Amino acid sequence: MQVFIAQILNGLSIGSVYVLLVTGFNLLLLVAMIIHFSYPQVVVFSMYIIWLVLKMTNNNLLLGILAGVSSAVLFNFISAPLFQKIMKNREEVDINATMVLSMAIGWIITDVLSHAFNNGLPIQFPEEITGSRPLFRIGLISILPGQVWALSIGIIVVSGFFILLYKTKAGRAFRAIAEDPAGARLVGIPLVKTGFQSYALSGVLGGLTAVLLAMLFHSASPGLGEQVSHKVLAVSIVAGLGNLTGGLVVGLALGILEALVQGYISGNWSNAIAFVVMLIVIMVKPKGLFGMKV
Amino acid sequence: MPLSLYYYLSITAVNILMSWALYVPYRMTQLHFITIANMMISGYLAGYLVLHVHVPFVCALLIGFVVGGIIGYVVSLFIGDAPTFAVVIVGFTFIYITRTIVENLSIVGGTMGMFGLPNIGGNPVAHRWIILGILYGLVVLCGFLIYRFDHSSIGRAASAIFVDKELASSLGIDIKKLGMLVQTFSCTLAGGVGVLYGFIYKSFHLDFFGFALIGVYMTVLFVGGYSTQWGPLIAAPILYGVPLFFPPAVQSWRIVIYGVMLILVLVLKPEGFITRKSVYSIGLALSRKREKVIRS
Repeated sequence: MQVFIAQILNGLSIGSVYVLLVTGFNLLLLVAMIIHFSYPQVVVFSMYIIWLVLKMTNNNLLLGILAGVSSAVLFNFISAPLFQKIMKNREEVDINATMVLSMAIGWIITDVLSHAFNNGLPIQFPEEITGSRPLFRIGLISILPGQVWALSIGIIVVSGFFILLYKTKAGRAFRAIAEDPAGARLVGIPLVKTGFQSYALSGVLGGLTAVLLAMLFHSASPGLGEQVSHKVLAVSIVAGLGNLTGGLVVGLALGILEALVQGYISGNWSNAIAFVVMLIVIMVKPKGLFGMKV
Repeated sequence: MPLSLYYYLSITAVNILMSWALYVPYRMTQLHFITIANMMISGYLAGYLVLHVHVPFVCALLIGFVVGGIIGYVVSLFIGDAPTFAVVIVGFTFIYITRTIVENLSIVGGTMGMFGLPNIGGNPVAHRWIILGILYGLVVLCGFLIYRFDHSSIGRAASAIFVDKELASSLGIDIKKLGMLVQTFSCTLAGGVGVLYGFIYKSFHLDFFGFALIGVYMTVLFVGGYSTQWGPLIAAPILYGVPLFFPPAVQSWRIVIYGVMLILVLVLKPEGFITRKSVYSIGLALSRKREKVIRS
Protein backbone atom coordinates (compact mmCIF):
# COMPACT_ATOMS: atom_id res chain seq x y z
CA MET A 1 0.00 0.00 0.00
CA GLN A 2 2.88 2.34 0.82
CA VAL A 3 4.35 1.79 -2.65
CA PHE A 4 0.97 2.54 -4.17
CA ILE A 5 0.56 5.84 -2.26
CA ALA A 6 4.15 6.88 -2.97
CA GLN A 7 3.70 6.20 -6.69
CA ILE A 8 0.35 8.03 -6.81
CA LEU A 9 2.06 11.09 -5.30
CA ASN A 10 4.89 10.78 -7.82
CA GLY A 11 2.35 10.36 -10.60
CA LEU A 12 0.36 13.42 -9.59
CA SER A 13 3.45 15.64 -9.56
CA ILE A 14 4.72 14.48 -12.96
CA GLY A 15 1.14 14.46 -14.26
CA SER A 16 0.72 18.11 -13.29
CA VAL A 17 3.78 18.93 -15.42
CA TYR A 18 2.21 17.07 -18.36
CA VAL A 19 -0.97 19.09 -17.78
CA LEU A 20 0.99 22.35 -17.98
CA LEU A 21 2.68 21.23 -21.18
CA VAL A 22 -0.56 20.06 -22.78
CA THR A 23 -2.27 23.32 -21.76
CA GLY A 24 0.45 25.42 -23.44
CA PHE A 25 0.35 23.15 -26.49
CA ASN A 26 -3.46 23.38 -26.74
CA LEU A 27 -3.43 27.14 -26.28
CA LEU A 28 -1.18 27.52 -29.32
CA LEU A 29 -3.33 25.08 -31.23
CA LEU A 30 -6.61 26.82 -30.42
CA VAL A 31 -5.56 30.45 -30.75
CA ALA A 32 -2.49 30.52 -33.02
CA MET A 33 -3.80 27.48 -34.93
CA ILE A 34 -0.49 25.64 -35.00
CA ILE A 35 0.53 22.17 -33.86
CA HIS A 36 3.66 23.20 -31.97
CA PHE A 37 5.03 19.69 -31.81
CA SER A 38 8.39 20.88 -30.49
CA TYR A 39 6.89 22.98 -27.68
CA PRO A 40 8.28 20.54 -25.05
CA GLN A 41 11.68 20.79 -26.76
CA VAL A 42 11.52 24.56 -26.22
CA VAL A 43 10.82 23.76 -22.56
CA VAL A 44 13.89 21.51 -22.37
CA PHE A 45 15.92 24.28 -24.05
CA SER A 46 14.75 26.57 -21.23
CA MET A 47 15.90 23.96 -18.70
CA TYR A 48 19.38 24.18 -20.25
CA ILE A 49 19.26 27.99 -20.05
CA ILE A 50 18.31 27.75 -16.36
CA TRP A 51 21.24 25.37 -15.80
CA LEU A 52 23.61 27.71 -17.64
CA VAL A 53 22.50 30.82 -15.74
CA LEU A 54 22.67 29.01 -12.40
CA LYS A 55 26.21 27.93 -13.26
CA MET A 56 27.25 31.42 -14.31
CA THR A 57 25.65 33.24 -11.36
CA ASN A 58 26.78 30.88 -8.64
CA ASN A 59 23.30 29.35 -8.30
CA ASN A 60 21.22 32.54 -8.18
CA LEU A 61 17.77 30.94 -8.23
CA LEU A 62 15.80 34.07 -9.12
CA LEU A 63 17.98 34.85 -12.12
CA GLY A 64 17.84 31.22 -13.21
CA ILE A 65 14.03 31.12 -13.13
CA LEU A 66 13.76 34.51 -14.88
CA ALA A 67 16.15 33.35 -17.59
CA GLY A 68 14.19 30.11 -18.06
CA VAL A 69 10.84 31.87 -18.43
CA SER A 70 12.14 34.67 -20.65
CA SER A 71 14.04 32.24 -22.91
CA ALA A 72 10.84 30.25 -23.55
CA VAL A 73 8.88 33.44 -24.31
CA LEU A 74 11.67 34.74 -26.55
CA PHE A 75 11.92 31.43 -28.42
CA ASN A 76 8.18 31.42 -29.04
CA PHE A 77 8.31 34.99 -30.33
CA ILE A 78 11.23 34.22 -32.65
CA SER A 79 9.45 31.20 -34.14
CA ALA A 80 6.04 32.93 -34.41
CA PRO A 81 6.75 34.78 -37.71
CA LEU A 82 7.79 31.49 -39.34
CA PHE A 83 4.44 29.92 -38.48
CA GLN A 84 2.61 33.06 -39.61
CA LYS A 85 4.50 33.03 -42.93
CA ILE A 86 3.49 29.42 -43.57
CA MET A 87 -0.16 30.28 -42.92
CA LYS A 88 0.13 33.27 -45.27
CA ASN A 89 1.82 31.17 -47.98
CA ARG A 90 -1.02 28.70 -48.02
CA GLU A 91 -3.71 31.34 -47.54
CA GLU A 92 -5.45 29.06 -45.07
CA VAL A 93 -4.96 27.37 -41.73
CA ASP A 94 -2.75 24.36 -42.38
CA ILE A 95 -1.93 22.73 -39.08
CA ASN A 96 -0.09 19.87 -40.79
CA ALA A 97 2.47 22.24 -42.35
CA THR A 98 2.95 23.93 -38.97
CA MET A 99 3.58 20.52 -37.42
CA VAL A 100 6.34 19.75 -39.94
CA LEU A 101 7.89 23.18 -39.34
CA SER A 102 7.74 22.61 -35.60
CA MET A 103 9.38 19.19 -35.97
CA ALA A 104 12.28 20.83 -37.82
CA ILE A 105 12.63 23.38 -35.00
CA GLY A 106 12.66 20.48 -32.55
CA TRP A 107 15.49 18.65 -34.37
CA ILE A 108 17.54 21.83 -34.37
CA ILE A 109 17.00 22.34 -30.63
CA THR A 110 17.89 18.72 -29.80
CA ASP A 111 20.99 18.77 -31.97
CA VAL A 112 22.16 22.14 -30.64
CA LEU A 113 21.71 20.91 -27.05
CA SER A 114 23.68 17.75 -27.79
CA HIS A 115 26.54 19.70 -29.38
CA ALA A 116 26.78 23.02 -27.58
CA PHE A 117 25.94 22.28 -23.93
CA ASN A 118 28.03 20.19 -21.54
CA ASN A 119 29.55 18.21 -24.45
CA GLY A 120 26.20 16.54 -25.04
CA LEU A 121 26.27 14.92 -21.60
CA PRO A 122 23.20 15.12 -19.33
CA ILE A 123 23.14 18.17 -17.07
CA GLN A 124 22.62 18.03 -13.30
CA PHE A 125 20.76 20.78 -11.46
CA PRO A 126 22.17 22.07 -8.16
CA GLU A 127 20.52 21.49 -4.79
CA GLU A 128 19.39 25.12 -4.69
CA ILE A 129 16.69 24.28 -7.23
CA THR A 130 16.02 20.59 -6.55
CA GLY A 131 16.02 20.69 -2.73
CA SER A 132 18.43 18.58 -0.72
CA ARG A 133 16.17 16.33 1.37
CA PRO A 134 12.56 15.14 1.50
CA LEU A 135 10.07 17.41 3.23
CA PHE A 136 8.66 14.39 5.01
CA ARG A 137 9.02 10.64 5.03
CA ILE A 138 6.87 7.79 6.41
CA GLY A 139 8.19 4.39 5.46
CA LEU A 140 8.42 4.29 1.67
CA ILE A 141 6.39 7.47 1.27
CA SER A 142 8.58 10.54 0.97
CA ILE A 143 7.58 13.91 -0.34
CA LEU A 144 10.26 15.89 -2.12
CA PRO A 145 10.20 19.70 -2.47
CA GLY A 146 10.05 19.38 -6.27
CA GLN A 147 6.89 17.28 -6.04
CA VAL A 148 5.16 19.83 -3.78
CA TRP A 149 6.19 22.71 -6.04
CA ALA A 150 5.14 20.87 -9.20
CA LEU A 151 1.74 19.98 -7.82
CA SER A 152 0.99 23.36 -6.24
CA ILE A 153 2.30 25.47 -9.13
CA GLY A 154 0.53 23.16 -11.55
CA ILE A 155 -2.81 23.65 -9.75
CA ILE A 156 -2.32 27.44 -9.40
CA VAL A 157 -1.23 27.98 -13.00
CA VAL A 158 -3.91 25.79 -14.57
CA SER A 159 -6.63 27.37 -12.34
CA GLY A 160 -5.31 30.83 -13.26
CA PHE A 161 -5.33 29.86 -16.90
CA PHE A 162 -8.93 28.68 -16.77
CA ILE A 163 -9.95 31.90 -14.94
CA LEU A 164 -8.18 33.92 -17.64
CA LEU A 165 -9.89 31.91 -20.34
CA TYR A 166 -13.43 32.04 -18.97
CA LYS A 167 -13.56 35.24 -16.85
CA THR A 168 -11.57 37.86 -18.75
CA LYS A 169 -11.92 39.80 -22.00
CA ALA A 170 -8.62 38.39 -23.32
CA GLY A 171 -9.86 34.87 -22.56
CA ARG A 172 -13.08 35.53 -24.47
CA ALA A 173 -10.97 36.63 -27.44
CA PHE A 174 -8.94 33.42 -27.20
CA ARG A 175 -12.11 31.31 -27.10
CA ALA A 176 -13.74 33.24 -29.90
CA ILE A 177 -10.78 32.58 -32.20
CA ALA A 178 -10.76 28.94 -31.18
CA GLU A 179 -14.46 28.60 -32.01
CA ASP A 180 -14.57 30.59 -35.24
CA PRO A 181 -11.55 32.58 -36.49
CA ALA A 182 -13.50 34.28 -39.31
CA GLY A 183 -16.34 35.26 -36.98
CA ALA A 184 -13.85 36.55 -34.39
CA ARG A 185 -12.25 38.75 -37.05
CA LEU A 186 -15.68 40.07 -38.06
CA VAL A 187 -16.46 41.21 -34.52
CA GLY A 188 -13.16 43.09 -34.35
CA ILE A 189 -10.87 40.71 -32.49
CA PRO A 190 -7.31 41.24 -33.77
CA LEU A 191 -6.24 37.75 -34.83
CA VAL A 192 -2.52 38.38 -35.18
CA LYS A 193 -2.22 40.31 -31.89
CA THR A 194 -4.23 37.69 -29.99
CA GLY A 195 -2.17 34.98 -31.66
CA PHE A 196 1.04 36.64 -30.42
CA GLN A 197 -0.48 36.91 -26.93
CA SER A 198 -1.00 33.16 -27.01
CA TYR A 199 2.69 32.69 -27.98
CA ALA A 200 3.68 34.86 -24.98
CA LEU A 201 1.36 33.05 -22.58
CA SER A 202 2.44 29.61 -23.72
CA GLY A 203 6.05 30.82 -23.40
CA VAL A 204 5.43 31.75 -19.75
CA LEU A 205 3.77 28.37 -19.16
CA GLY A 206 6.72 26.67 -20.85
CA GLY A 207 9.28 28.55 -18.77
CA LEU A 208 7.50 27.65 -15.53
CA THR A 209 7.27 24.03 -16.67
CA ALA A 210 11.03 24.05 -17.31
CA VAL A 211 11.62 25.14 -13.70
CA LEU A 212 9.29 22.42 -12.40
CA LEU A 213 10.91 19.75 -14.57
CA ALA A 214 14.32 20.78 -13.22
CA MET A 215 12.97 20.43 -9.67
CA LEU A 216 11.39 17.06 -10.37
CA PHE A 217 13.94 15.33 -12.59
CA HIS A 218 17.11 16.94 -11.11
CA SER A 219 18.71 16.46 -14.52
CA ALA A 220 18.05 16.84 -18.25
CA SER A 221 19.45 15.44 -21.46
CA PRO A 222 19.10 16.55 -25.11
CA GLY A 223 16.77 13.62 -25.89
CA LEU A 224 14.35 14.53 -23.09
CA GLY A 225 12.51 17.06 -25.27
CA GLU A 226 11.78 14.52 -28.01
CA GLN A 227 10.40 12.00 -25.56
CA VAL A 228 8.22 14.56 -23.79
CA SER A 229 7.01 16.08 -27.06
CA HIS A 230 5.77 12.70 -28.25
CA LYS A 231 3.95 12.20 -24.95
CA VAL A 232 2.40 15.66 -25.06
CA LEU A 233 1.11 15.14 -28.60
CA ALA A 234 -0.17 11.68 -27.61
CA VAL A 235 -1.91 13.07 -24.49
CA SER A 236 -3.41 15.85 -26.55
CA ILE A 237 -4.76 13.40 -29.16
CA VAL A 238 -5.99 10.90 -26.56
CA ALA A 239 -7.80 13.73 -24.76
CA GLY A 240 -9.08 15.23 -28.02
CA LEU A 241 -6.97 17.79 -29.84
CA GLY A 242 -7.52 21.23 -28.32
CA ASN A 243 -9.67 19.93 -25.46
CA LEU A 244 -8.33 21.68 -22.33
CA THR A 245 -10.39 19.73 -19.79
CA GLY A 246 -9.53 16.46 -21.51
CA GLY A 247 -5.83 17.42 -21.43
CA LEU A 248 -6.08 17.98 -17.69
CA VAL A 249 -7.59 14.56 -17.02
CA VAL A 250 -5.41 12.57 -19.46
CA GLY A 251 -2.20 14.41 -18.42
CA LEU A 252 -2.72 13.46 -14.77
CA ALA A 253 -3.76 9.92 -15.73
CA LEU A 254 -0.58 9.47 -17.80
CA GLY A 255 1.59 10.66 -14.89
CA ILE A 256 -0.09 8.21 -12.51
CA LEU A 257 0.09 5.33 -15.02
CA GLU A 258 3.81 5.87 -15.59
CA ALA A 259 4.53 6.09 -11.87
CA LEU A 260 2.58 2.91 -11.12
CA VAL A 261 4.39 1.00 -13.88
CA GLN A 262 7.73 2.23 -12.50
CA GLY A 263 6.70 1.14 -9.02
CA TYR A 264 5.47 -2.34 -9.87
CA ILE A 265 7.28 -3.51 -13.02
CA SER A 266 11.04 -3.88 -13.13
CA GLY A 267 13.04 -2.75 -16.17
CA ASN A 268 12.68 0.27 -18.38
CA TRP A 269 9.10 -0.40 -19.45
CA SER A 270 7.20 2.63 -18.11
CA ASN A 271 7.41 4.68 -21.33
CA ALA A 272 6.57 1.71 -23.53
CA ILE A 273 3.52 0.72 -21.48
CA ALA A 274 2.28 4.32 -21.38
CA PHE A 275 2.69 4.49 -25.15
CA VAL A 276 0.93 1.13 -25.67
CA VAL A 277 -2.09 2.39 -23.70
CA MET A 278 -2.14 5.66 -25.64
CA LEU A 279 -1.64 3.81 -28.93
CA ILE A 280 -4.67 1.59 -28.27
CA VAL A 281 -6.83 4.62 -27.44
CA ILE A 282 -5.65 6.53 -30.52
CA MET A 283 -6.24 3.55 -32.81
CA VAL A 284 -9.71 2.89 -31.42
CA LYS A 285 -10.72 6.54 -31.02
CA PRO A 286 -8.53 8.72 -33.28
CA LYS A 287 -10.57 11.82 -32.39
CA GLY A 288 -9.88 11.44 -28.67
CA LEU A 289 -11.79 10.48 -25.54
CA PHE A 290 -13.22 13.95 -24.88
CA GLY A 291 -13.73 15.12 -28.47
CA MET A 292 -11.66 17.42 -30.66
CA LYS A 293 -12.05 21.19 -30.42
CA VAL A 294 -10.34 22.07 -33.70
CA MET B 1 34.70 -0.42 -55.33
CA PRO B 2 35.92 1.89 -52.53
CA LEU B 3 34.07 1.43 -49.26
CA SER B 4 33.13 5.12 -49.10
CA LEU B 5 31.48 4.96 -52.55
CA TYR B 6 29.64 1.77 -51.56
CA TYR B 7 28.26 3.46 -48.44
CA TYR B 8 27.31 6.58 -50.38
CA LEU B 9 25.47 4.64 -53.08
CA SER B 10 23.74 2.24 -50.71
CA ILE B 11 22.61 4.88 -48.17
CA THR B 12 21.43 7.11 -51.02
CA ALA B 13 19.27 4.23 -52.32
CA VAL B 14 17.92 3.62 -48.80
CA ASN B 15 17.12 7.34 -48.47
CA ILE B 16 15.31 7.36 -51.83
CA LEU B 17 13.25 4.28 -50.96
CA MET B 18 12.38 5.45 -47.45
CA SER B 19 11.48 8.94 -48.67
CA TRP B 20 9.17 7.26 -51.18
CA ALA B 21 7.74 5.21 -48.31
CA LEU B 22 6.81 8.58 -46.74
CA TYR B 23 5.85 10.15 -50.08
CA VAL B 24 3.13 7.63 -51.02
CA PRO B 25 0.97 8.06 -47.86
CA TYR B 26 1.69 11.81 -47.89
CA ARG B 27 -0.09 11.93 -51.25
CA MET B 28 -3.20 11.85 -49.04
CA THR B 29 -1.63 13.99 -46.24
CA GLN B 30 -0.59 11.10 -43.99
CA LEU B 31 2.89 11.27 -42.44
CA HIS B 32 3.42 7.58 -41.83
CA PHE B 33 6.40 7.33 -39.46
CA ILE B 34 5.53 3.76 -38.52
CA THR B 35 7.81 2.92 -41.47
CA ILE B 36 10.83 3.56 -39.22
CA ALA B 37 9.50 1.06 -36.65
CA ASN B 38 8.89 -1.40 -39.50
CA MET B 39 12.48 -1.04 -40.68
CA MET B 40 13.56 -1.92 -37.14
CA ILE B 41 11.18 -4.87 -36.68
CA SER B 42 11.87 -6.49 -40.06
CA GLY B 43 15.58 -5.72 -39.88
CA TYR B 44 16.12 -7.27 -36.45
CA LEU B 45 13.89 -10.24 -37.32
CA ALA B 46 15.80 -10.94 -40.53
CA GLY B 47 19.12 -10.48 -38.73
CA TYR B 48 18.07 -12.97 -36.08
CA LEU B 49 16.86 -15.49 -38.67
CA VAL B 50 20.07 -15.30 -40.70
CA LEU B 51 22.41 -15.30 -37.71
CA HIS B 52 20.78 -17.83 -35.38
CA VAL B 53 18.35 -19.91 -37.47
CA HIS B 54 20.63 -19.89 -40.57
CA VAL B 55 17.79 -18.90 -42.89
CA PRO B 56 19.12 -17.86 -46.34
CA PHE B 57 19.34 -14.09 -46.81
CA VAL B 58 16.80 -14.01 -49.65
CA CYS B 59 14.18 -15.78 -47.52
CA ALA B 60 14.90 -13.43 -44.61
CA LEU B 61 14.53 -10.45 -46.93
CA LEU B 62 11.18 -11.74 -48.20
CA ILE B 63 10.05 -12.35 -44.62
CA GLY B 64 11.06 -8.74 -43.86
CA PHE B 65 8.83 -7.45 -46.67
CA VAL B 66 5.92 -9.66 -45.59
CA VAL B 67 6.17 -8.76 -41.89
CA GLY B 68 6.32 -5.07 -42.78
CA GLY B 69 3.25 -5.47 -44.98
CA ILE B 70 1.28 -7.36 -42.34
CA ILE B 71 2.02 -4.75 -39.66
CA GLY B 72 1.14 -1.97 -42.08
CA TYR B 73 -2.12 -3.65 -43.06
CA VAL B 74 -3.22 -4.39 -39.48
CA VAL B 75 -2.45 -0.84 -38.32
CA SER B 76 -4.14 0.64 -41.40
CA LEU B 77 -7.37 -1.12 -40.41
CA PHE B 78 -7.49 1.39 -37.54
CA ILE B 79 -5.83 4.50 -38.97
CA GLY B 80 -6.46 4.17 -42.70
CA ASP B 81 -8.51 7.36 -42.70
CA ALA B 82 -7.19 8.96 -39.48
CA PRO B 83 -6.13 12.62 -39.45
CA THR B 84 -2.45 13.44 -40.03
CA PHE B 85 -1.54 14.12 -36.40
CA ALA B 86 -3.07 10.81 -35.27
CA VAL B 87 -1.05 8.93 -37.92
CA VAL B 88 2.07 10.81 -36.83
CA ILE B 89 1.69 9.91 -33.18
CA VAL B 90 0.87 6.28 -33.96
CA GLY B 91 4.20 6.19 -35.82
CA PHE B 92 6.11 7.71 -32.90
CA THR B 93 4.50 5.38 -30.37
CA PHE B 94 5.38 2.36 -32.52
CA ILE B 95 9.00 3.53 -32.68
CA TYR B 96 9.13 3.92 -28.88
CA ILE B 97 7.51 0.58 -28.22
CA THR B 98 9.75 -1.24 -30.70
CA ARG B 99 12.87 0.43 -29.31
CA THR B 100 11.94 -0.52 -25.74
CA ILE B 101 11.27 -4.13 -26.73
CA VAL B 102 14.57 -4.38 -28.63
CA GLU B 103 16.43 -2.76 -25.69
CA ASN B 104 15.09 -5.42 -23.35
CA LEU B 105 15.50 -8.44 -25.69
CA SER B 106 18.84 -10.11 -25.19
CA ILE B 107 18.34 -12.50 -28.14
CA VAL B 108 18.72 -9.58 -30.55
CA GLY B 109 21.58 -8.04 -28.61
CA GLY B 110 19.61 -5.52 -26.50
CA THR B 111 21.33 -2.15 -26.22
CA MET B 112 24.61 -3.67 -27.46
CA GLY B 113 23.20 -4.45 -30.91
CA MET B 114 23.48 -7.41 -33.26
CA PHE B 115 26.84 -7.92 -34.94
CA GLY B 116 28.58 -10.41 -37.18
CA LEU B 117 25.98 -10.78 -39.93
CA PRO B 118 27.46 -12.90 -42.72
CA ASN B 119 28.58 -11.67 -46.15
CA ILE B 120 25.99 -12.40 -48.78
CA GLY B 121 27.76 -14.14 -51.66
CA GLY B 122 30.60 -15.35 -49.47
CA ASN B 123 33.03 -12.42 -49.61
CA PRO B 124 32.86 -8.65 -48.91
CA VAL B 125 33.13 -7.61 -52.58
CA ALA B 126 30.28 -9.86 -53.70
CA HIS B 127 28.29 -8.72 -50.65
CA ARG B 128 28.56 -5.07 -51.69
CA TRP B 129 27.56 -5.73 -55.30
CA ILE B 130 24.60 -7.89 -54.27
CA ILE B 131 23.33 -5.30 -51.77
CA LEU B 132 23.70 -2.50 -54.33
CA GLY B 133 22.03 -4.61 -57.01
CA ILE B 134 19.03 -5.37 -54.80
CA LEU B 135 18.75 -1.77 -53.58
CA TYR B 136 18.86 -0.19 -57.05
CA GLY B 137 16.63 -2.93 -58.44
CA LEU B 138 14.13 -1.92 -55.77
CA VAL B 139 14.56 1.77 -56.66
CA VAL B 140 13.69 0.98 -60.29
CA LEU B 141 10.78 -1.31 -59.37
CA CYS B 142 9.29 1.07 -56.78
CA GLY B 143 9.91 4.05 -59.05
CA PHE B 144 7.89 2.32 -61.76
CA LEU B 145 5.10 1.30 -59.36
CA ILE B 146 4.85 4.79 -57.87
CA TYR B 147 4.88 6.32 -61.36
CA ARG B 148 1.97 4.06 -62.36
CA PHE B 149 0.19 4.93 -59.10
CA ASP B 150 0.66 8.67 -59.63
CA HIS B 151 -0.74 8.44 -63.16
CA SER B 152 -3.69 6.20 -62.30
CA SER B 153 -7.18 7.00 -61.08
CA ILE B 154 -6.08 5.96 -57.55
CA GLY B 155 -3.29 8.54 -57.69
CA ARG B 156 -5.76 11.19 -58.79
CA ALA B 157 -8.06 10.14 -55.94
CA ALA B 158 -5.13 10.59 -53.50
CA SER B 159 -4.54 14.07 -54.96
CA ALA B 160 -8.21 14.90 -54.43
CA ILE B 161 -7.94 13.81 -50.79
CA PHE B 162 -4.81 15.96 -50.39
CA VAL B 163 -6.67 19.04 -51.64
CA ASP B 164 -9.97 18.51 -49.82
CA LYS B 165 -10.86 15.41 -47.85
CA GLU B 166 -14.55 16.29 -47.54
CA LEU B 167 -14.89 16.97 -51.24
CA ALA B 168 -13.07 13.74 -52.12
CA SER B 169 -15.40 11.82 -49.87
CA SER B 170 -18.46 13.42 -51.46
CA LEU B 171 -17.08 12.44 -54.89
CA GLY B 172 -17.32 8.82 -53.77
CA ILE B 173 -13.64 8.20 -53.00
CA ASP B 174 -13.21 5.55 -50.32
CA ILE B 175 -10.65 7.34 -48.12
CA LYS B 176 -10.13 4.45 -45.73
CA LYS B 177 -9.56 1.89 -48.48
CA LEU B 178 -7.07 4.14 -50.24
CA GLY B 179 -5.37 4.93 -46.92
CA MET B 180 -5.03 1.21 -46.21
CA LEU B 181 -3.52 0.63 -49.65
CA VAL B 182 -0.87 3.35 -49.39
CA GLN B 183 -0.03 2.57 -45.76
CA THR B 184 0.39 -1.15 -46.50
CA PHE B 185 2.59 -0.37 -49.50
CA SER B 186 4.84 1.99 -47.54
CA CYS B 187 5.17 -0.45 -44.63
CA THR B 188 5.99 -3.37 -46.94
CA LEU B 189 8.68 -1.29 -48.62
CA ALA B 190 10.05 -0.13 -45.27
CA GLY B 191 10.21 -3.70 -43.97
CA GLY B 192 12.41 -4.84 -46.85
CA VAL B 193 14.56 -1.71 -46.77
CA GLY B 194 15.09 -2.23 -43.02
CA VAL B 195 16.62 -5.66 -43.71
CA LEU B 196 18.91 -4.26 -46.40
CA TYR B 197 19.84 -1.27 -44.22
CA GLY B 198 21.25 -3.56 -41.53
CA PHE B 199 23.02 -5.78 -44.07
CA ILE B 200 24.79 -2.75 -45.54
CA TYR B 201 26.70 -2.49 -42.25
CA LYS B 202 26.40 -6.23 -41.47
CA SER B 203 25.01 -5.26 -38.05
CA PHE B 204 21.94 -3.87 -36.34
CA HIS B 205 21.98 -1.27 -33.59
CA LEU B 206 19.23 0.83 -32.04
CA ASP B 207 21.10 4.00 -33.01
CA PHE B 208 20.54 3.09 -36.69
CA PHE B 209 16.82 3.66 -36.18
CA GLY B 210 16.76 6.87 -34.14
CA PHE B 211 14.42 9.80 -34.58
CA ALA B 212 17.14 11.51 -36.64
CA LEU B 213 16.20 9.14 -39.48
CA ILE B 214 12.76 10.75 -39.63
CA GLY B 215 14.52 14.12 -39.95
CA VAL B 216 16.61 12.90 -42.87
CA TYR B 217 13.70 11.36 -44.79
CA MET B 218 11.40 14.32 -44.13
CA THR B 219 14.07 16.73 -45.36
CA VAL B 220 14.58 14.67 -48.52
CA LEU B 221 10.82 14.58 -49.11
CA PHE B 222 10.01 18.22 -48.40
CA VAL B 223 13.14 19.84 -49.83
CA GLY B 224 12.99 17.68 -52.96
CA GLY B 225 9.25 18.21 -53.31
CA TYR B 226 6.39 16.20 -51.89
CA SER B 227 4.09 16.55 -54.88
CA THR B 228 6.03 14.30 -57.27
CA GLN B 229 8.15 11.18 -56.93
CA TRP B 230 11.06 12.89 -58.70
CA GLY B 231 11.64 15.23 -55.73
CA PRO B 232 13.01 12.59 -53.34
CA LEU B 233 14.86 10.84 -56.21
CA ILE B 234 16.84 13.98 -57.00
CA ALA B 235 17.14 15.36 -53.47
CA ALA B 236 18.40 12.16 -51.77
CA PRO B 237 21.82 11.90 -53.51
CA ILE B 238 22.42 15.65 -53.18
CA LEU B 239 21.34 16.01 -49.54
CA TYR B 240 23.33 12.97 -48.45
CA GLY B 241 26.32 13.70 -50.67
CA VAL B 242 26.92 17.42 -50.20
CA PRO B 243 27.52 17.30 -46.39
CA LEU B 244 30.20 14.63 -47.01
CA PHE B 245 32.37 17.34 -48.58
CA PHE B 246 32.10 19.54 -45.47
CA PRO B 247 34.86 19.49 -42.85
CA PRO B 248 34.21 16.90 -40.07
CA ALA B 249 33.40 19.66 -37.54
CA VAL B 250 30.59 20.92 -39.79
CA GLN B 251 29.43 17.40 -40.75
CA SER B 252 28.51 16.68 -37.14
CA TRP B 253 25.91 19.47 -37.40
CA ARG B 254 24.20 17.66 -40.28
CA ILE B 255 20.81 17.47 -38.55
CA VAL B 256 20.90 21.21 -37.78
CA ILE B 257 21.72 21.89 -41.44
CA TYR B 258 18.84 19.65 -42.56
CA GLY B 259 16.49 21.32 -40.06
CA VAL B 260 17.40 24.82 -41.26
CA MET B 261 17.00 23.72 -44.90
CA LEU B 262 13.61 22.23 -44.16
CA ILE B 263 12.44 25.43 -42.41
CA LEU B 264 13.70 27.61 -45.27
CA VAL B 265 12.01 25.44 -47.88
CA LEU B 266 8.72 25.33 -45.95
CA VAL B 267 8.73 29.11 -45.63
CA LEU B 268 10.14 30.12 -49.03
CA LYS B 269 9.26 27.25 -51.35
CA PRO B 270 6.44 25.31 -49.69
CA GLU B 271 6.13 22.64 -52.38
CA GLY B 272 9.88 21.95 -52.50
CA PHE B 273 12.26 22.33 -55.41
CA ILE B 274 10.72 19.79 -57.79
CA THR B 275 7.05 20.58 -58.17
CA ARG B 276 4.39 19.00 -60.34
CA LYS B 277 4.38 22.14 -62.45
CA SER B 278 8.14 21.94 -63.07
CA VAL B 279 7.90 18.24 -63.99
CA TYR B 280 5.05 19.05 -66.38
CA SER B 281 7.04 21.91 -67.97
CA ILE B 282 10.10 19.70 -68.43
CA GLY B 283 7.93 16.93 -69.90
CA LEU B 284 6.31 19.40 -72.28
CA ALA B 285 9.66 20.84 -73.38
CA LEU B 286 11.05 17.35 -73.98
CA SER B 287 8.04 16.25 -76.03
CA ARG B 288 8.24 19.42 -78.17
CA LYS B 289 11.91 18.76 -78.79
CA ARG B 290 11.10 15.18 -79.74
CA GLU B 291 8.40 16.34 -82.15
CA LYS B 292 10.86 18.77 -83.70
CA VAL B 293 13.42 16.01 -84.17
CA ILE B 294 10.81 13.68 -85.72
CA ARG B 295 9.61 16.40 -88.11
CA SER B 296 13.11 17.34 -89.20
